[in-house]
Amino acid sequence: MTDVLPIPAKPLRARVDVRSSRRPWPLLKGRRIGLHVAALALLLAVLFPFLWMVQMAFRPADDVLGDALLFRPTLENFASLWQGTFPRSFVNSLLVSTLSTATSLALGVPAAYVLSRWCFRARGRVSLWILATRMAPPIAFTIPFFLAYRWVGLQDTVIGLALIYMTFNISIVIWFMQTFFAAIPKALEEAAWIDGCGVWQAFWRVTLPLAAPGLAATAVFCFIFSWNDFFFALILTRTNAITAPVAITNFLQYEGWEWGKIAAGGTLVMLPVLVFTLLVRKYLVRGLTAGGLK
Amino acid sequence: MTFFNLTGASLGWEHSRRRAYLAGLLPALVVLGAITLLPALFLLAVSLTPLSLVKPGTAFDFSDPLGNYRELLWDGRFHNSVLLQLHLSTVSVALQLAVGLGVALLLNVRSRFFEAIRAAFLIPMVLPPIVVALIWKILYTPDVSPLYRVLDSVGLPVDSLITDPALAIWAIGVAETWQWFPFTMLMVLATLQLIPDDPLEAARIDGANRWQVFRHITLAYLRPALVVCGLFRLIDSFKAFPLIYVLTNGGPGSATEVTNFYGFIEAFNFSYWGYASAIAVIMLLGVFAVSWLVGRLGWNEVHHD
Repeated sequence: MTDVLPIPAKPLRARVDVRSSRRPWPLLKGRRIGLHVAALALLLAVLFPFLWMVQMAFRPADDVLGDALLFRPTLENFASLWQGTFPRSFVNSLLVSTLSTATSLALGVPAAYVLSRWCFRARGRVSLWILATRMAPPIAFTIPFFLAYRWVGLQDTVIGLALIYMTFNISIVIWFMQTFFAAIPKALEEAAWIDGCGVWQAFWRVTLPLAAPGLAATAVFCFIFSWNDFFFALILTRTNAITAPVAITNFLQYEGWEWGKIAAGGTLVMLPVLVFTLLVRKYLVRGLTAGGLK
Repeated sequence: MTFFNLTGASLGWEHSRRRAYLAGLLPALVVLGAITLLPALFLLAVSLTPLSLVKPGTAFDFSDPLGNYRELLWDGRFHNSVLLQLHLSTVSVALQLAVGLGVALLLNVRSRFFEAIRAAFLIPMVLPPIVVALIWKILYTPDVSPLYRVLDSVGLPVDSLITDPALAIWAIGVAETWQWFPFTMLMVLATLQLIPDDPLEAARIDGANRWQVFRHITLAYLRPALVVCGLFRLIDSFKAFPLIYVLTNGGPGSATEVTNFYGFIEAFNFSYWGYASAIAVIMLLGVFAVSWLVGRLGWNEVHHD
């Protein structure tokens, strides 16, 4: 990294390592510092609303709305959440998200593999249908599901909620895993076939282990999308299977405006998501456009 | 592989392979069909009836199949909701694209420091939507918000944005922009990595100034990504729910009652299931029209070539 690229037009600026920046104009030192400061200031301004809620969660109950930056942080708000029905909703969220992720992977991964390997005539139409389910507004699914669940008694159950989450999770799995399988050379499976493996044996022993990082990322995305859902859970659950995001809004409506609890609940709900997102940051672009790719 | 195909044994293998593929694909398609196609057909059927759970006998009443749709034509509240939806979507998508592009250009520097900053900028987008709504509820509630207190103390008291019929929709647009500008930022940054250095270098040597290079080269490379990004966000903006539910609940009056929210109210507050289904069907058609546009523009070609 010590060699300097010659810049014919402006030799004086050649001292700055041009490759550290993709800008057409290499930055001078003063400007570089300015840029760092500007970026940091912008970041703080953008994250201010978020940071404010987090600090509210740690304020003592009698000073939740205070704005003195120096205060003694306390876990009071979290403790009072622990005593209510909130832990149960948290467990429900975990159950629903895990259940829905597991079943969507079990169904979607083999299907994604087949779609990446087998060019049959209706393939384009199947893909289009899966894309359409990703785009459809949730209310279009909620109305029929709500009416059907009243009929079969799946209202306010973890299984019922996990089932409706599969409407988006299966299509995410299929779209996302297809791109990973497509990147794995077919020759490897063909070698396994010649050695006497069946199609699914070769898939299980050769292809799937190679796609493991993609599988992990897909699982994380399914989990996050299920965990983040608010609309379906609001409509399809009441008390029994209520999830954490819906449970927080109860603090807004029935028990008055308990800002400390709201902030603490919000902080708890976003915690797993932030941790998981850090793990799959590399795949974020692909994950968020799943369904738009190919 | 051709000489394998000539033998009888490989034909048998070909056959069993196809069967194995079918066994892997069918379960997913059957389940997906049962939970997406069936509900869609059910929705369409319900939209042709005046179904209301409080009125018995309305469930299978197909005597006036297009009644709901005819009523939609004359429902001012529905028209208002569509206009509001377009207003909100246009404002927030335009803002997201502008802010996302600007931030991406500022942060497009290769260094550890900027990598960390870029990652931190993604936080709003990955937060659970309900948490985003709560964060903005805190900011927009005058007694609670630090911003209102600051404005108050410097002698510039401002009325609550979310209870002002003219401003509430803008307040929601701002919150939505905060939540989703990182999406555009991420896409623009990814696309910037794909721009070759040569044209930039060449333009600079030819004497183009910064603005000209940006306008004629960088932006030309970014345009397809921005278009697709905008369409993606447009589709998702039709679904925005938690922000409106928590911040304004459709009010004041019906000032923030977008189509999605109107459908929700008709179904779950008024129990007019048939009518709400008709609204959902219209929304589905709108979303598919935009999706079709995404398909026509070929996201994959523009982004991965």
